[in-house]
Amino acid sequence: MNLLTLFLSALLINNVILSKFIGMCPFLGVSNKLSSAVGMGLAVIFVIFGASVLSWALYYYALVPLGLEYMKLICFILLIAAFVQFVQMFIKKTSPSLYKSLGIYLPLITTNCAVLYVALDNITQGYTFVETLVNSIAVPAGFMLVLVIFATIRERLAAADVPDAWKGNPIAFVVAAIMAIAFSAFSGLV
Amino acid sequence: MQVLFAIVIAGALLGLNAWLYTANKKTPVPEGCENLKPDCTGCGITDCALRKKEEEQSTL
Repeated sequence: MNLLTLFLSALLINNVILSKFIGMCPFLGVSNKLSSAVGMGLAVIFVIFGASVLSWALYYYALVPLGLEYMKLICFILLIAAFVQFVQMFIKKTSPSLYKSLGIYLPLITTNCAVLYVALDNITQGYTFVETLVNSIAVPAGFMLVLVIFATIRERLAAADVPDAWKGNPIAFVVAAIMAIAFSAFSGLV
Repeated sequence: MQVLFAIVIAGALLGLNAWLYTANKKTPVPEGCENLKPDCTGCGITDCALRKKEEEQSTL
């Protein structure tokens, strides 16, 4: 598959939030402030990329040769949880400034199903290593793009004159629906 | 034999998880980051450990 096509497809057309409806929890939860959304987005990119590459290697170099493909789900879950612990510890030791901006979001990422989705998708689609690298960057980049746009809109909505019944999550869902419709226009891109 | 490999791999990953969890807990938080506060007010994730900690602190 053309790598550019794969990248654009994962980033815009098959966007993990607006097309697949995966990772909705942090999408609605951590989008009240732009700074929080950027921090969460960066942490998600870092974790998804690392966890997906490790999962791909574990699957093709350990599970497939041993005939244990059926164990991929439990193995990936454990690997992702371990990787998040490792990243948190590594950042604590090496970069306090990075820990200050990302550290608070790392425990939340363990429960982000988008991480597991990318790891499993790389396997089920039969991606090569290079395709896995591209997909593992594009999917979380799409996640961050949508999260940042959504946070920007929500910050402006906070100052807008919204009817009482629509304040908070109801108007957020309406915004998310309109964004999903807008992003569906990208389907003719590739 | 395959079952044995499955147990070994699952056990290794569980062990790795437990070891990293303990090591992460023992690693001191960098200076100035002790009181990092999550923005729980607008967050819908109710079973998060950070939120529980935040709620405990606010009730004290």
